[in-house]
Parts: sequence; C-alpha cells; structure tokens
Amino acid sequence: MSEFLLEVKNLKKYFDTPKGKLHAVDDVSFSIKEGKTLGLVGESGCGKSTAGRVILRLLEATNGEIFYKGKNIRELKKNKMRELRKEMQIIFQDPFSSLDPRMTVSEIIEEPIKLNKIINDKEKRFERVLELMDLVGLSRRLMNTYPHELDGGRRQRIGIARALSLDTKFIVCDEPVSALDVSIQAQILNLMKELQQKLGLTYIFITHDLSVVNHFSDDIAVMYLGKLIEKAPAEELFSNPIHPYTKALLSAIPRPTLDRKVDKIILKGEITSPINPKDNCRFANRCNYVQDICKQTEPEFKEISPGHFSACHVFSDHLSGEFE
Amino acid sequence: MRNKVLEIKNLKIRYVTDDGIVEAVNGIDMLIEKGRTLGLVGETGAGKTTTAMSILRLIPDPPGEIISGDIILDNIKLLEISENEMETIRGRLVSMIFQDPMTALNPSICVGEQISEAISIHQDVTKEGAKEKAREMLEIVGIPGSRMEEYPHQFSGGMKQRVIIAIALSCSPKLLIADEPTTALDVTIQAQVLELMKELKEKLEMSMLMITHDLGVVAEVCDDVAIMYAGRIVEQGNLEEIFKYTKHPYTEGLFNSIPNIDDRKAELIPIRGLMSDPYNLPDGCSFCDRCDYALDICQTEKPKKIYFSGTHFSECHLYSGNSDFQLNCGKK
Amino acid sequence: MNADVLEIKTEQLLKTKKRSQLFDVWLRLKKSKAAIAGLLLIGIFIFMAILAPVLVSYEDDALKMNVRVRLQTPGSDHWFGTDELGRDIFARIVYGTRISLFVGIISVSIALTLGGTLGAIAGYYGGKIDNIIMRFLDVLLAVPAVLLAITIVAALGASMLNLMIAVGVSNIPGFARVVRAAVLSVKDQEFIEAAKAIGAKDHTIILRHVLPNSMAPIIVFATLKVATAIMATASLSFLGLGIQPPTPEWGSMLAGGRSYIRDHMYIVLYPGMAIVLTVLSLNLIGDGLRDALDPKLK
Ligand SMILES: Nc1ncnc2c1ncn2[C@@H]1O[C@H](COP(=O)(O)OP(=O)(O)OP(=O)(O)O)[C@@H](O)[C@H]1O
Ligand SMILES: Nc1ncnc2c1ncn2[C@@H]1O[C@H](COP(=O)(O)OP(=O)(O)OP(=O)(O)O)[C@@H](O)[C@H]1O
Ligand code: SF4
Ligand SMILES: [Mg+2]
Ligand SMILES: [Mg+2]
Repeated sequence: MSEFLLEVKNLKKYFDTPKGKLHAVDDVSFSIKEGKTLGLVGESGCGKSTAGRVILRLLEATNGEIFYKGKNIRELKKNKMRELRKEMQIIFQDPFSSLDPRMTVSEIIEEPIKLNKIINDKEKRFERVLELMDLVGLSRRLMNTYPHELDGGRRQRIGIARALSLDTKFIVCDEPVSALDVSIQAQILNLMKELQQKLGLTYIFITHDLSVVNHFSDDIAVMYLGKLIEKAPAEELFSNPIHPYTKALLSAIPRPTLDRKVDKIILKGEITSPINPKDNCRFANRCNYVQDICKQTEPEFKEISPGHFSACHVFSDHLSGEFE
Repeated sequence: MRNKVLEIKNLKIRYVTDDGIVEAVNGIDMLIEKGRTLGLVGETGAGKTTTAMSILRLIPDPPGEIISGDIILDNIKLLEISENEMETIRGRLVSMIFQDPMTALNPSICVGEQISEAISIHQDVTKEGAKEKAREMLEIVGIPGSRMEEYPHQFSGGMKQRVIIAIALSCSPKLLIADEPTTALDVTIQAQVLELMKELKEKLEMSMLMITHDLGVVAEVCDDVAIMYAGRIVEQGNLEEIFKYTKHPYTEGLFNSIPNIDDRKAELIPIRGLMSDPYNLPDGCSFCDRCDYALDICQTEKPKKIYFSGTHFSECHLYSGNSDFQLNCGKK
Repeated sequence: MNADVLEIKTEQLLKTKKRSQLFDVWLRLKKSKAAIAGLLLIGIFIFMAILAPVLVSYEDDALKMNVRVRLQTPGSDHWFGTDELGRDIFARIVYGTRISLFVGIISVSIALTLGGTLGAIAGYYGGKIDNIIMRFLDVLLAVPAVLLAITIVAALGASMLNLMIAVGVSNIPGFARVVRAAVLSVKDQEFIEAAKAIGAKDHTIILRHVLPNSMAPIIVFATLKVATAIMATASLSFLGLGIQPPTPEWGSMLAGGRSYIRDHMYIVLYPGMAIVLTVLSLNLIGDGLRDALDPKLK
C-alpha cells in the first residue's frame, strides 16, 4: 500500500460542446496523505468542481488514473464503487440546492445509513442520526424541520452530518463556506477542522478564497484553465510563490488591514477559452512576464524544490537551471 | 466647510408581509462628504440593500414603506419631491451598480446601445453624440471601443461589470452606490474592477457608497466605514478608527471571523449563534444574544450612540459611563 | 455545544411527528378564493356521484322511458324537467356525473402512468433514449388528440373501456412532455448528485428524489387534463363514438336533446351546465394548486 490515501495521475476530463472539446480538467496529477488537507484553488470555471466530481466518479474521467488506498477506482465495477462511496464523500457549495426540499432534516441525515443498510433497526438508526446532529452542532429540535426553513449555516451543517453518516474517511469539500456570511463561515470552518482532528478525515478543500485555503490546508494546488500550475505546502506557497499567476492571485486578495505589505499585481487581458486550447502556456495572454517560448510550447509541471511544483517557462525553468 | 453629498437622518423602513413586519432599517443616520467613500458592512439581512434602494426611492411598495426620516442628496430632500423629479435625479445625481453583472444587462441589446441609451435619457445630446460618449465611457472602463456592437453574452463577468460601471458613470453622478459590485467576480478580476472604480472616483470627483461584506475590500477602497447590524448602524468611523480602535463587539467579531492570510495558525473566533429573527427583534441591543460582553442592561434597553471622536461612534452599553472600556475577544 | 440538546430525550423525539408538507400546501391553497370555489363545486359533483343511488333511482328515473311525462318543464316533480323520452334529466345528470368523473380520472391515470414513465425515463437518462422516446411521441403529437381518439374508438369499437383507452392514449404525449420537463429541471440539481454520492441506485433516485420534487407541475397538469378528458368524453359521446345510449352521459344527452333545443332549451341547458361547471371547477383548482405548490412562494 502506498503512503498516500489518494493519488491522482494524469487526470483528464473533456466535455463535448457544440464549439469543440472543453478541457475542464487537463492532465492533473497530485496526491494526498491520510489525515491531511489539500486545498484546490483557482478562479471560476478553471475546473475545480469537475476535478472533485471526477475523483468521486460522479462524472466519468476522460483519461487518467485515480488511486484510493492503492486501488485504481476507475476500474471498479458499479457495485464495488458503491461500496467505496461509504468512505468517499462530498460536501457541496450551495446549501440551498444540495438538500432535497421534500425531506426533513432527520430524513436527509438518515438516508445514507438506511440505503447502505448500515443500521437496520429503526430506533438505533434514529439514535445515530441524533448523535450526528450533536456532532455537527445541530439542535435536536430541528430534526423535523425542512431545509428551506433553515439558514445557510445550519443547512451546511446538515450536509456535513450527512457526509459523516457513513464510514467516511475522505471528503471532497466543494466550496463549503463560500455561500455563507463571514461570521457563519468561521463557525463552519472551525467545525470542519475539529471533525478532521477527531475522526482523522482527509479533505480536498476546493475554494476560490485563498485566505480560507491558507487557514485550512496542508498543501495547496493552484489550477488555471484545467491545468495545475503550482503546488506546494501552504506555507511555502504563500511565502515563496513561483508562478506569475499565483503571485498575482496572492497579491489580489483584499486584506482587512491598514498596513498592506504586498503591492497589488493587476492582471490585464481576459481568461482564454477552455475550448480546444492551444499547446502553449494557458496563462500567456495575461502574464506580465510572457516570453516567446510561452506562446509556443507548454511548460512542464515539475518539482523545483522538495514538494514545490510549478509549471512556468520563465520562473520554474529558471530556478531549475534550464532557462537562460 | 464640509461639502455634504448625502445625508440620511433617522431613516426607518419596514416591510409588511403576510408573516409579519420586518423592521429592515431602524433609524439610521449617515453622512457622505464630497469625494469620500463610505463602506457599508454587515451580514445578510442587515438592511444594506434596503438602505441603498431608499436613496434611489426604489423600495418596492408594497410591501416596503419608509416610515420616517430624511434623505438629503445634494441639498434636495428626496422624500419630499415628486416621482417625476425623482426620475431626473436617478442616473444623473445618483446611480447604482447591482451585485449580479449577469442579470443587470439586457441580453438582446448590444452594450454600446445600452450605454448611449442611459446617456440620452439625461443629457441633451444627438444620437451620434450619445454614441460617441458611450464609446468614450467604454474605453474609460478599459474595453476597446471596437466592441461597442457586441452583446452581453460575448463578454466575461468582469467585462460585464465594467459595462455596468460605464452605464452608472455615464452621466457623472455625484453619488455612486455600489451594492456588492465584486462579490460575483474572481479575485484577480475583482482587483481590476476595484482599481478601476477607485481611479474613476478620483477622476470624476464622485462620492461613493460601497456596500460589501468583505472587510478586505473596505480596507482597500473606503475612507469611512459603517457597520450595520439588524437595521442599525452599530459602529461608524473612519478607516483607522474602525480597524485600529474597534469599539463594538460585533465589529470585533467580524474581524476575528476572517482567516488571517498572513498568519495561518491564527485561530478563528466565530460569532456564535445567528442574527435575531428580523420579524421579532429583541427589546434591548439586537446583538445581545450573540455578544460575549453582554450586561444585564443590554437585554432591556437599546444602547445609544456614544462618540469617541467627532467621527467615531458606537452603539453599545459597554461604553456608557466607561468610555475607556477595552474589548478583549470576550475573555472576561 | 447546544443547551437544548440535553433537554430533549430520544423517546420524546421519536414520538414527535413531522409536519406534513401537504398541510402547508393546503394552507396556501386555502388563501385562493377561486380554488376554494372550485373545490366546493367539484365536491358537490363528487357527492352527487357517490350518493347517486340514494338521490334517485337508476332504473326508474334515469333509464325507464315514460312517454306520458315527456318534455316536461322543470318543476317540483322533475327539478330539471324530463327529456323527449320522459326520463328525469336531474337523475340522468346525477348518474352522468359518475361516468364523466370515472372516465376522466381513469383515462388521465392511463395517460399519466404510460406517458409519465416514458417522460421520466427520457428526462432522467437523456441522450439516445430521450431522442428515441421523444421522436416517437412527436409522431403521436402530430395527430390532433381528438382525431387520434376518434381513430382509436373507430378501430376498437365504441364502448366505455375503449373510450377511456382512446382518451388516455391521446393524452400520453402531453404527459410525457410535462413529466420530462419536470424531471429535467430537477435532475441537474445538486441534491440528485448528493444522492448518487451516497451510493443510491438509479431507481431509488428517481422514485425518492426526482419524482417527489417534480410532482407540482404534474399534479397541476393532471387536474387540468381531467377537465379536458371530461370534455373529450362528452365530445366523443356527442358524436356517437363514446358512451352509447341509453346510458346517461352528458355528451350523449346533449346530442339526444339537440333537436328539441328550440322549444325545450332545458334539455341541453342542464347537461351543458354540468360540463361547464366541472371543467371550470377543475381549472380553478388547477390554477390554485399551481400557486400553492410553487416552492418559490415558500
Ligand atoms: N456538464 C458540463 N458540460 C459542459 N461543460 C461543463 C460541464 N460542467 C462543467 N463544464 C465546464 O467545465 C469548466 C470547469 O467547470 P467547473 O465547474 O469544474 O469549474 P469550477 O472551477 O468549479 O468553477 P466555479 O468556481 O465557478 O465553481 C467550465 O468551463 C464549465 O463551463
Ligand atoms: N421585498 C421584501 N419583502 C419583504 N421583506 C424584505 C424585502 N426585501 C428585503 N426584506 C427584508 O428586509 C431585511 C433587510 O434586507 P436587505 O436586502 O436590505 O438586506 P442586505 O443587508 O442587503 O442583505 P444581503 O447581504 O443578503 O444583500 C431582510 O430581513 C429581508 O428579509
Ligand atoms: S450593547 Fe451589550 S450586547 Fe450589545 S454589543 Fe454592546 S455589550 Fe454586546
Ligand atoms: Mg465549482
Ligand atoms: Mg443586499
């Protein structure tokens, strides 16, 4: 068995659209150790959610391999995969559309336990539901209410309780707090962190908010138009970003302080279309450091220092001594 | 002499619905001077949009009604003039940018025409003149004039928001109200748009009311900050007063809830609980059941404004009789 | 964590009942005066249909010819008068209610079951299956419903069963479309994906999540379609292709009385009114339900 809980190799997901092939996830590789959190960041439409769904096989990948505990889950049969879903779960971004409006809170949390026949005795199952509600800080009083009667924070807690109701080890968290108010956001982030420690969970934490991902993750992977462009331990990424996009992204975060240390890098140009992209650096038309080579070939995603990967002709090749 | 662009006095607005009465705005005062930007911060349902819409007199009635108060824009008492007069003010003296750039543009009219339409409503120009001005506006917001004839769906989110800014600024209003103008945008695009708004504000000598829930955005574009909670402004001051000398427990809670990007180990201290039911606000301080400092009096009596400087005030019982009180994250 | 967590015991909670969503719908429906009027009207008709044998005698009043009292104007003996064969019109309308409601409901059930299944499959699976099913239904849809029904009855012969089949089949494409659209709008929501993520099988997802959430437009459509089915039944019977005399049916009563319309208007007036009122009340209910079931109004 490998040292990683999850390993993704050369993952690709293309969508057929009327205008051509949309490269939503294009040749992405990464791995996560058990009990750790990988933050996946990038702007809207860069393929974060698609990557998360493909890993759980809610969408079928176009190409590539996904190893969970050393097993390639893309080769699993439907019923074997269903078995595995008890361990691999997802928390959704939108606390309003991810819960069935016709079911009560307790029915929603109970459903996975019932469907997977984990606990067959009705009373015991009910005990478990209450236990889960306590675990995520939902008052037991709410068990017979419908989701639409609750606020976003509470609804997100339902989603978390449901994801934990099985034998959960690994959770893809798809922007779990971006729909919430800051004060509620902090409540949910603290809860998720506490649960990770208590239950030894492994997270992929998808977000577009870098301050959240910094607070939450061990490693951070930055995506741009379907590609991974940089990946490093969180601290390293923040103190020593290599890719020009990462630099711009870090500098662009509005900071709630009066003494701003970083100068803003304002990007020009617009994001290129993810449909039939050319074989060059996909960031080339917005990059402040663009060279001729960037417009001709695609930079390789390679290790620059231990654990720090990046894909940029100018910076990463320079640092690894290949660019002059 | 201070040059007041907008002054709001004791404004009260409520919505009367089948389920009860929502007191959305409960007596707020606000002042924006020429060339300054006021940030209005607060969580969902605090009444930010309601306040903004009342300045344009666009509160849907029913169910909304302005119960009392004064809104004075550029020496005109907005609540006393006729609807016809109001129409000439909207867009000319004050205009508004809405949160969602995806729905604020008409998908079947090309962007150039949408801008020139806004111009010809308020200015006495020929069709050609309006078109020329529209091209100019488009270029000011960083979109090549050659894209005049394109339709909104051909533009990205950030570009659409810039078109909306172009429309809002086309008649050089004295006051620009921006209701979460960048919430739907990515950080890098947000940086572009905010930069643009700051630049244009300087250039056109406008004042701005910036509604947001992001204290980072406030720090970047605002001069003054008003923190709104359950229909009241609970703390107001200039940027430094709010960020360095935070007085209200809610403001402190907001700051403690944001992950600190420069210190990843810092613990988040959320505000517990939820905002009180807007149909049924408590008798005392509205924040009282979430507040770690609450005193007995907080349950029963509404706190009054206490001034710490000419510009900085807070509505909190902690400071009545003890204006030196220091917040400490609720640790007693 | 929560102070109230400890206060409530498990057993107590197990006993508490969830508030039914149907009750919420009723609360909202109650607000619409038109819908309540519709419900009252249709209630009267249903009441008449159930209590028909108590109110009048089928054999004696509705069927038996009695030439002595033919063409009597409405009065205390015969509330709605008698027809050309001396049958009591009120009695015939009462029994006609049974037939109209029965045929309407059964034929809509046929259409709903068959069309609904096809639509649900087409909507949920999409792609090729969707294409095949919908193209087949397009062909059916190209033939006007009444014409289709006439053809079916003509082919199978006129009887009540065949009438229900004809009206039912001609409504299949409509139901398939409505169900498909409803399923499509639900299918892409995240909670469906959430169900997949916990390992739910396709049929569980369709039955437990997709259908309950697409019920609203289907219920409304079905209510309105019962009204059209009643109309279709009456029309076909009027043409002699539906219920055969002497069975009392509103459409055939109209047909029978139409030569007396000049001097004895009431012969056609009352059956006509019965048709109009049922159709109207069903439409009122349908519109009321549309608002009451709309989740956006919650
Ligand atoms: N079912 C689909 N069919 C076609 N294209 C799709 C589909 N789902 C996603 N896409 C496209 O794939 C790309 C990646 O989408 P994805 O939802 O993964 O982005 P994201 O990074 O999660 O963005 P966001 O931050 O907005 O959630 C987008 O260009 C999107 O339009
Ligand atoms: N048309 C309306 N009818 C009834 N109640 C309304 C209406 N519009 C707003 N409200 C209520 O008024 C209160 C204030 O709403 P408002 O939209 O001003 O809040 P906000 O601070 O802009 O919130 P957000 O951050 O969500 O935009 C809320 O409780 C809201 O539910
Ligand atoms: S008035 Fe009382 S309850 Fe309100 S914020 Fe101040 S201390 Fe807290
Ligand atoms: Mg996404
Ligand atoms: Mg708002």
